[in-house]
Amino acid sequence: MRPENYQAVSHPPSHEYEVFFGPNHPGIEGNYALKVRLHGDEVTAARADGGYLHRGFEKLMEGRLWIQNIALVPRICVPDPVPMEVCYSLAIEALGGLEVPERAQWIRVMQLELSRIAAHLFTFGGNAATTGMYTPMFWGIADRDLILDLFEELSGGRVYHIYNIPGGVRRDLPEGYLKRVSDTLDYIESRLPDYDNLMFTNQVFVRRATGVGIMTQEQALDWGVTGPNLRATGLPFDVRRDDPYLIYDQLEFDVPVEEAGDAWARTLVRRAELKQSLRILRQVVARLPEIDGPIRAPIPNPLAWNLPLGDVYTRVESSKGELAYYVVSNGGDKPWRVHVRGPSAMHAVQVLEHLVTGARIEDVAQIMFSLDACPPEVDR
Amino acid sequence: MTQHEGTVHGIARLRDKTTLREILEVATSFEASARDFYTDLAPKVSKRIRYLVEELAAEEQRHFDLFNDLAQRTDLHEQIQQEIDTPASDSQFSDCLHLPHLGEAPDDQEVLQYAMGREHTAMVHYGELAETTPPGPICDLFHYLASEETKHKLELEKLYYQLVHRGGGV
Amino acid sequence: MSDIDYKQRGSLLNPLRSLGFFGRPPVTQPLEPRPASINYRGFHLNDWEKCVGCGTCQKVCDNAAISMVHIPDLPADPAKGVRPERPAIDYGRCCWCGLCVDICPTGALALSREYVHTCVDADLSSYFILPDSHGIHGQPYEKGWAKTADADLISLLREPMPELEPEQRIENFDEIVGGYDPQQALLEASRCVQCGMCHDACPTHMHAPQYIRAIWEGKLEEAVGWIYQTNPFAHICGRVCTRRCETACSIGHRGEPIAIRWLKRYAMDAIPHERVKQIAAAGRCETPSGQRVAIVGAGPAGLTCAFDLAKQGHAVTVFEALSQPGGMTRWGIPEYRLPYDRIDRDIDVIQSLGVEIRCNTRIGSDITLEELHQQYDAVLIALGLQMGRGTRIPGSDHPQVRRAVDLLRQATAGEEFGTPQSAVVIGGGNVAMDIARTLARLQRQRFGTAQVTITALEELSHFLADPVEIKEAHEEGITILPARGPREVVVEDGNLVGLATWRVTSIFDEQGRFSPTYDQEDAQIHTAEMVVEAIGQMSDTGLLGDELTERLAWNRGRLQVDSDGRTSEAWLWAAGDMVRGPDVVSAVADGHRVAASIHAALSAAKEQNP
Repeated sequence: MRPENYQAVSHPPSHEYEVFFGPNHPGIEGNYALKVRLHGDEVTAARADGGYLHRGFEKLMEGRLWIQNIALVPRICVPDPVPMEVCYSLAIEALGGLEVPERAQWIRVMQLELSRIAAHLFTFGGNAATTGMYTPMFWGIADRDLILDLFEELSGGRVYHIYNIPGGVRRDLPEGYLKRVSDTLDYIESRLPDYDNLMFTNQVFVRRATGVGIMTQEQALDWGVTGPNLRATGLPFDVRRDDPYLIYDQLEFDVPVEEAGDAWARTLVRRAELKQSLRILRQVVARLPEIDGPIRAPIPNPLAWNLPLGDVYTRVESSKGELAYYVVSNGGDKPWRVHVRGPSAMHAVQVLEHLVTGARIEDVAQIMFSLDACPPEVDR
Repeated sequence: MTQHEGTVHGIARLRDKTTLREILEVATSFEASARDFYTDLAPKVSKRIRYLVEELAAEEQRHFDLFNDLAQRTDLHEQIQQEIDTPASDSQFSDCLHLPHLGEAPDDQEVLQYAMGREHTAMVHYGELAETTPPGPICDLFHYLASEETKHKLELEKLYYQLVHRGGGV
Repeated sequence: MSDIDYKQRGSLLNPLRSLGFFGRPPVTQPLEPRPASINYRGFHLNDWEKCVGCGTCQKVCDNAAISMVHIPDLPADPAKGVRPERPAIDYGRCCWCGLCVDICPTGALALSREYVHTCVDADLSSYFILPDSHGIHGQPYEKGWAKTADADLISLLREPMPELEPEQRIENFDEIVGGYDPQQALLEASRCVQCGMCHDACPTHMHAPQYIRAIWEGKLEEAVGWIYQTNPFAHICGRVCTRRCETACSIGHRGEPIAIRWLKRYAMDAIPHERVKQIAAAGRCETPSGQRVAIVGAGPAGLTCAFDLAKQGHAVTVFEALSQPGGMTRWGIPEYRLPYDRIDRDIDVIQSLGVEIRCNTRIGSDITLEELHQQYDAVLIALGLQMGRGTRIPGSDHPQVRRAVDLLRQATAGEEFGTPQSAVVIGGGNVAMDIARTLARLQRQRFGTAQVTITALEELSHFLADPVEIKEAHEEGITILPARGPREVVVEDGNLVGLATWRVTSIFDEQGRFSPTYDQEDAQIHTAEMVVEAIGQMSDTGLLGDELTERLAWNRGRLQVDSDGRTSEAWLWAAGDMVRGPDVVSAVADGHRVAASIHAALSAAKEQNP
């Protein structure tokens, strides 16, 4: 734990002690720590301790050309990189007045939903592992790999795709690509009963998750909670539907909600969302072949590209919640300021500290993972 | 006027010769007289273009040496036959130029015209000698000499093109 | 909302169904690396034949992973824009984003489908590689991420230049090129990747990357400042430069090079003349040196030298035989390419620095070179190539056989030289195009129609003329007959009736020298009232006099100068076309070189005799 986050307990009573969760812990994707004070099994206080993955992306971006930043942004959220690329590109496009060709918009949606499925599969696995079930974790990671194969074929990179660029995307689809996407969707869909049997209808898991880490809708709104965590408190808010970007307004999908606001509700929302993503992708696979045209709007020489003076706020719905970029241009060839409004910062710090306090020690990891926070995005 | 391969007297001298070596000796003497002509001319022209006359003299000297060496060889005839297997052919590029009279202060273009004219005449005359000589070593030698003069003329034509037609810059 | 009815079906036994997986064969993966996908972004490949060492990959690299490494064995060819440098990649920094591939101007870079490299500590330097086309381990891996038209980050097309249409221009001498507007200039400037090949190729090493960047930034005064650092013939070179820079431009390998010349023109036209004068005077020495320099010839070389020396505090007097300064730029180049008021501006800037130009003063008759030698501390002759060569074919002494340079000079002066109804021009260079297009304009003004034919020895692809000139001459109705050798000027009853030519068949020898060969079977007569010889040019060095000519060293017909432009006589320098051959920007470069040498000599003399 970093010194600034550590205050030693003076003369602790014998039944009070401190436990360090992390920074290497399966309860969260990446290096992140939680220091909890325990009274017996019960958590009496918690202190989130991030910063292990701080790379200073927002500052770094100020020193790089508009286009160079496309190589940085996917690193902000490793398990779900596409929304980072798309959201940054949307910001640049809004500043520069670029019209993204329709085909590129459809390709972006395809990637966004593939990335969401991959992220959710990853989360399922991790979430199961926090209750001691390791098989869903292996399954989740193995099935996610099939989506990474698709990304590799499309973009040349499995995790850091660096495929979206201001103006559109960098490559058209390879020959026969949509067929392979479709096959992968079939496979993942066929796997859902397996996951249900092992995890979502597994009473061990259901009972471990139910009633744990409850947050009310009011709290969620106060704390700035978004995404599945918010929808698990009964509020059907989804940027894709309520502030549509790209071609989401042309697609049919539902916004799943749960009412309970506990870890189980959050898990169920993700499980339902995965199915909606499959539904969206089926529509994309059917429509994309009909949409011809360029995949990128012409952009100037990236070495001599000034964006007009101004600022812009663009947002997308990532697997973790609402992701937004606030970008300020002073008229130059680099951003004057970039702020990443990531969903995980709230979820992993304020919300987590609240929810963990009063919980039992064995539920801490479960609560952490049910919030699906992404430490590299918290730290940036 | 010096005696060289471009004069009637020069041709007459060659017709009388019956051995390869004798013919080569006469041809060599023509080269020597040409060399001497350019050597005499050099100090008379402007220093600006003297390089040209000096180069011409050096080239005639090179021919002089070539023929001299050839005359010393025992396998003279085989050498010549090899050479005339690929005779140089005339380009006629410079044939339409006036043959100038080199006055007191010729310019570079005139000197080159004159030199090309000389080589041309020599080429023609050696060619005629070859045509009128029965096949055999002597005929081959005339062919060889004609080819040598043609080559020299071609070289001068390239220089002429560069100097006169290609932007020049002098 | 959930689509799982977990409350009903939830059972402690549900997970046991997964035990069925024990009956399935295990998943096994081979140990060797899995083949990567077709677009894979693996280790770099670089085609050294295509790579020109421009370093654009280095500029776009967001991690500073690329260094340009000098390779001593590689050929350097600044004129073609080839630098003996190749990118080296530090895989400790590279993030495999592939922007280097997408921006590579030549398409030399690609990423391979190879992705495994590991080593022990001792070989850590193996992560720093100089990629070639064989891959990091010399293994035959295919290209993965490579250049595609979709992903190309280079804009290959130039901003179109507004120009007068042929029908608008054939009857007048109005300037054809309209010039960029601010938006076009900005867009064109933005295409530049700042590789600096233009700077290396330019004879006077103009700071083109800097002024292009300044134009892109909207800092036009700064651009003019950069231009004046190396070239006081700024307006003139912005219009008629031979633009070696554009030949060397990296963008030109796959697309249209940056319009560097037009950008220079744009910057110069955008700044008010009085402000240009102030900018040009920057860095001027305010203390007179007390030394005097005489320059013979007010062309680009002479006036550039005068500009530099005046800025360094010397008193410079330029002697010009003709009535106005400018040399060949004024007396040789027609106004539709270079308006006279632009020449006047460039010269006015030079004069504003204190350079005195004495026109109508011919050395030899008005004042002798020896007098200059006596009266001045240094003398430069920059005479240019004012005399046209003649073909000396039969009939070429007819009065209706003219030299192009003479006619162009008369046209500039507005003298009547008897515009013929029809003319044949001999020559394939820019001078031939200039006189042909000038004659055609004069013919249209006088007779309503034009009839000009150009005959040249060379094939069209080997014409010395700028391809743009050839294209525009075609558009203006001029007949161009390549590969025709002049045989005879046909004269009947004392009147010139045409030019007889033969076809030229042959061409270049092994050393790349042209050896024209005539095919007498293919003879033609081109009827015309006038034959214009527009072949080579030479300088008139008669002003040197016999004695000095004999004393000076010569090099194949040109005055021999050292690398600084000094002749074998310590007081005499020579520069420009007469020593370098015809080219405006080379003459400017020569002017700078000679000025530096004269300044050094004068400074040394001053130190010895304070």
